[in-house]
Amino acid sequence: MSEAIWWAVARSEEISAEKPFNVDIGDQPIVLWRETDGTVRALEDRCPHRRAPLSLGCILGSGAIQCGYHGWTFDGESGQLVDIPNLKSERKYPPVYKAKPFGVHESAGFVRICLDAKAPPPADDGYALPLSGTSTVALEHGQYIAALFDDPSLLISIKGVRFSPYLLAELCEQEGQLVMERSCQWASPHWPAPFTSDFPISLRIATDPVTGESDLTLRDDEFNLLLQATLAPVPGARQVTQVRWRAMLSPERPGLAAKAMGLGAPLRVHDHIDGAALRVLKPSASIHADDLREKIAARTDQQDEVA
Amino acid sequence: MLEISDNPATSANDDPITSDPRQFSAKVNAWMPHEIMLTDAWFPLAHSFAVDKKPVRRAVYSQPFYLWRGSDGQVIAAENHPNDTLAGAKSEYTDESGHYPVLEKYGYVWGWLGTPENAAPEHVPSIPYLPEDGGLPLHMLGTVRFDCCAPLSLENLIDLTHADFIHADVVGDEKMDSETVEVFHDSETITMVRTCVNKSVAPIMKMFGGVRDDVQQVRQVIRIYLRSHAAIAYGRFSPGDNVQLFHPCVPETRDRTRLDYAMNTSNVKKSNLFRYIMPKASYKVSRQDSSMTSPQSPRYMRPEKRKDLHSPLDEAGQKYRVLMTALAERQARGDFAYRDDVSADCSDIIGYEKA
Repeated sequence: MSEAIWWAVARSEEISAEKPFNVDIGDQPIVLWRETDGTVRALEDRCPHRRAPLSLGCILGSGAIQCGYHGWTFDGESGQLVDIPNLKSERKYPPVYKAKPFGVHESAGFVRICLDAKAPPPADDGYALPLSGTSTVALEHGQYIAALFDDPSLLISIKGVRFSPYLLAELCEQEGQLVMERSCQWASPHWPAPFTSDFPISLRIATDPVTGESDLTLRDDEFNLLLQATLAPVPGARQVTQVRWRAMLSPERPGLAAKAMGLGAPLRVHDHIDGAALRVLKPSASIHADDLREKIAARTDQQDEVA
Repeated sequence: MLEISDNPATSANDDPITSDPRQFSAKVNAWMPHEIMLTDAWFPLAHSFAVDKKPVRRAVYSQPFYLWRGSDGQVIAAENHPNDTLAGAKSEYTDESGHYPVLEKYGYVWGWLGTPENAAPEHVPSIPYLPEDGGLPLHMLGTVRFDCCAPLSLENLIDLTHADFIHADVVGDEKMDSETVEVFHDSETITMVRTCVNKSVAPIMKMFGGVRDDVQQVRQVIRIYLRSHAAIAYGRFSPGDNVQLFHPCVPETRDRTRLDYAMNTSNVKKSNLFRYIMPKASYKVSRQDSSMTSPQSPRYMRPEKRKDLHSPLDEAGQKYRVLMTALAERQARGDFAYRDDVSADCSDIIGYEKA
């Protein structure tokens, strides 16, 4: 797992000052919590004393995290050990007595972690979309993103919308992102997609080439915005994918079908994948993703060298 | 504008279909249909009736085309929708105002993908059995889609042996006394003529066309205009009515094909159900084709060490591969000239019998 990548491992709502929260990036377990001033902290979810998960401990009034096993207490910013309560002393502990800290950045309702604590923070993403959720899916991260490109209906449902197999634009690079656009239909009775001349709505997917974090934009054929969403898939332990998402239904939605999107949840991110459907899903748009990723990475490396 | 007369017709030396069988075979087996992107071509983007004041969206190789009619009724083809706030920068395929060259012919809106200055009406393919001004009734027109790359769809079309198997319930099975396949080509087209003697009658002709015999004499012609990814499929059936299909395969993306077809059955008597049913057979036939070409398509996306195996009946498909690859290579070298005339009347080539 590369060090300098910012992964959206949690939604802001999931992190509190009451209870530590465990996530992982690949095989790296991480504990997250909020200090009393709202700052989010992240340490390796492993007490350096006896390797117990710090997430089983508690958050003290000082904002430090205390291991639930022997009470070792750590500063969230530096990871430095600040107290071993049973020693009843004011002693200072050597610098090696610390839990591994990670970089933390919170914006737009997502908490992002970088395994390199010294990495420069990413740019702020604007405002938090009001709807949100978390799903954990038994599918490897790369396969999850490939399925998003090839058939999003295996991963998500948008109220009243049916994804067609037909693309307005296949995967291409736009400003460092992988971008594609898929024709969609309303889920009401309609002429079958293979015989349809013009589709009433389309879904644009813009995906970060490394993290797979994807901005989804559903628009009608007059380019009115209907729904926007961000899906943040993160590779987890045992090759599962943790997906945090946020979404917002556009307040102005012309047409009856678009208005009906407001009845119930407009976006669902599936917890379960239909393995039988996935097995026979033919690679299509996704097959170009690796080439595009390589192209973007090569260019980034070149720019880094020049810099 | 490109002038056809400026470009000498294909000479034997330029012919990519070489007489060296090993070289030919190597080219056939290097087939990478997903990598082929031909430009400086007219693409039949929409039936004329489908384009009105509200912009409709089409694509060629993911390049967006928005089509609508101005107040004078003329079609405008633009790169961006007027309301698109996410629109990217203008490409090299449009003029300063973001418009593509566009024209109407044969009842279609044709958009030019390529250098705008090279767009010329004489590069629109010849389709002898479609009225130049369009106007065919709607029941003869339709849209179907293939979940595969356009050159695979066209390779499928030019190999009519497949029809005897996956379309047997529509056009008849493989039972016949003899079958011959002839292939003709130039640098811009390939034409396949299939002649079948005493072939089992197409069920659709038996059911709806009033054909009572058990066998019929069949002469089917597929002519592909390589750059435009457009084919004409002309069949003469005796007994039976001639079938006159325009079969464009617009590569909306590298792995999806749009077919706005026109099946002119005005040669069939108005009292004959075949006139109305045959154009609708496309809905069934296209799904049958897609059932095979869709799983085929990803298997042609990457170079493959194992060679495809071929039969003598695959001559047209093999030559189509070589011609398409040669045209793509020529364009990669910066040569976009038309060396052969695609708009010259091809009635004689396809053996079209005017009603």
